[in-house]
Amino acid sequence: MKGQRCHGWVLMLAAVLALGTAAPAAAAEKTLEIGVLGPLSGGAASYGVELLRGAEMRSDEINKAGGLKVGGDVYKIKLIAYDHKASAADAATAANKLVFQDKVKYIIGNAVGATCNAVQTVTEPQKVMFAFVCWGTNNLGPDKPHSFRSMLSQWEAAEPFYRWIKEKRPTIKKVAVISPNDTSGLDTNTAVVKAVKGLALDLVSEETYERGTKDFYPILTKILAKKPDLLDVAAAPPAEAGLILKQAHELGFRGAKGWTAGVNPVTLVGIAGVEAAEGVWSPVNINVRSDFVDPKVRKFGDEYEKRYKEVPGVIAVANYGAFDVFTKAMQEAGSVETDKVLAALTSRPYDTVWGRLVIGGKETYRIDRQFLYPMVISEIRGGKIVDIEQVLPAALKALTK
Amino acid sequence: MPIELLVQALLNGFALALVYVLVALGLTLIFSILGIINFAHGEFYMLGGYATYFGVAVFGLHYVPTLLLAIGAVGLAGVVAERLIFRHLRGKTLNAFIVSLGLLWVLQSGAQLTFGVLDKPVPSAFSGIIRAGRVIISVERFVVVLAAVGLIAVLYGFLQWSRVGRAMRAVAQDPDGAALQGVNIEFTSMLGFAVGCALAGAAGGLLAPVFAVSPPMGALPVVKAFIIIIVGGMGSLPGAVLGGLLLGTVEGIGSLFFSSAAVNVLGFLMVIAVLLVRPRGLFGAA
Repeated sequence: MKGQRCHGWVLMLAAVLALGTAAPAAAAEKTLEIGVLGPLSGGAASYGVELLRGAEMRSDEINKAGGLKVGGDVYKIKLIAYDHKASAADAATAANKLVFQDKVKYIIGNAVGATCNAVQTVTEPQKVMFAFVCWGTNNLGPDKPHSFRSMLSQWEAAEPFYRWIKEKRPTIKKVAVISPNDTSGLDTNTAVVKAVKGLALDLVSEETYERGTKDFYPILTKILAKKPDLLDVAAAPPAEAGLILKQAHELGFRGAKGWTAGVNPVTLVGIAGVEAAEGVWSPVNINVRSDFVDPKVRKFGDEYEKRYKEVPGVIAVANYGAFDVFTKAMQEAGSVETDKVLAALTSRPYDTVWGRLVIGGKETYRIDRQFLYPMVISEIRGGKIVDIEQVLPAALKALTK
Repeated sequence: MPIELLVQALLNGFALALVYVLVALGLTLIFSILGIINFAHGEFYMLGGYATYFGVAVFGLHYVPTLLLAIGAVGLAGVVAERLIFRHLRGKTLNAFIVSLGLLWVLQSGAQLTFGVLDKPVPSAFSGIIRAGRVIISVERFVVVLAAVGLIAVLYGFLQWSRVGRAMRAVAQDPDGAALQGVNIEFTSMLGFAVGCALAGAAGGLLAPVFAVSPPMGALPVVKAFIIIIVGGMGSLPGAVLGGLLLGTVEGIGSLFFSSAAVNVLGFLMVIAVLLVRPRGLFGAA
């Protein structure tokens, strides 16, 4: 009897051990709420819509694959999105709601520089991780360690873009630049002006306008009186850039056209018309159907188009990539705690939708918080986006030497 | 400064101001007849823009009949708004003010939900430019100016010489007196509201191919319209035209010397100056 009882215990123990080996204790399924901010209405709405769609694409992929496995837990991702209408005041309100009401620890997605500054007044003291596509120079810095820019900014793009223009089109001497009169716009103009002057080109006009402006005739009358060879609609969002080029064309401008911080040229062509949009060069946009881009981007583009019936612009790709990088860093850290994820984030390059992505930028921002990847200069020809050449931002060149 | 630049700046200012005069005329007509300041007036401008977008860009109709249909459709929307809402608020200035603000948000949010948030381009029926020396205007804008002037003239003729137009003026001057003379106040008010909204719709339809359409597109024209009617005098049609021309001059010339943000302020400075010197506006009744 004693022997039999002992044998039974051994069997039970063996069974438990076997079960434990064959099927480890089921990972607890939790929900990870991630905030998305952006202008979902108003003149810059295309930015916000793309941010949200990029986030939806990646989070749905993760959820459909069973969730995000981090350490011993599996997280379903839930997005909480708010519209700030490109207003800094509304952005601060939305950030407060996300951080204090919804208790999110990650905000992945925001656009328009002044709104990023507003959001950072909430996220940095609360150590909330914040990824954005704002082009404000001071959106990155050692005083903002939890903030990351997930697409190239004017500081990475302007110098190589104008160097390329100078080499390929030496007849272009006089440059005019126009941007919105907020943080993103002013900083973009500053970067363009620095690049133009650094390359010994002649800056004949530097103008700004109020976001939401529809009639650019008055500003263009002043600009075109200076007879520029190239008009750069630097940080204008697609709809406004389209209106500027349409009206410049109406006022007789037939020179070269640049769009240093240009995103989504498809929208620009729709507004400007094929003729006025002809020949626009853009260094930060991405053509998801291009031979220059990583096959992952082409796949993303196909699925995006199938889902939303539109071709994605660079902001959708950037936020998809940001979600990818942040969730990979969570897995690498084995935790969703922001301190651990922060340490993991900057430790290595990532294989992403952009191809190999490095987080750098210390030379410009005094901290490595800028996503760096190769950029492709494209041109609008007959209403289509044609890629011309791939160039590397100087910061990426330095890191990959 | 070259004279051509000055002429170009004035032309830029006048071209748009004349369209904003249409919006202002609608606003001031509604105020005169119903005693209501309709803050949702810009949304009727937006509806005119979207009606034109659907006619031209979606259904492929020609621009001119589409514009006429858009004007009619927005006028009809005005009839609905008057019968359902504003008829019950005639003379109740504060109530009408709150309700019109509510209507503004309902129409704008409804447009966002229905049409989406992105700008939608409307193909232009007119291409090319007209050049006089170094002064340029696109054929598209020239047609817009002609149409705006034409509509202002038609409105003037309608109010001056048609039986219904005279009834509207009578109701605007003295509703009780007009009623005693046999004028149907309710019908005249409804018609006045519809004509006012149709004018906003016409402006929206005229500028749709020039600027594209979007849900918040009515915000700027209605601000300009308020500047125009405060300067010109509330309830005065000639005042609205003069206010528009003054705004066009100030903004056109101002744009040569100041940034776009500062130019927007110039209109409000003009309002302050006029209100200090002549509180009822240039042509307003005492």
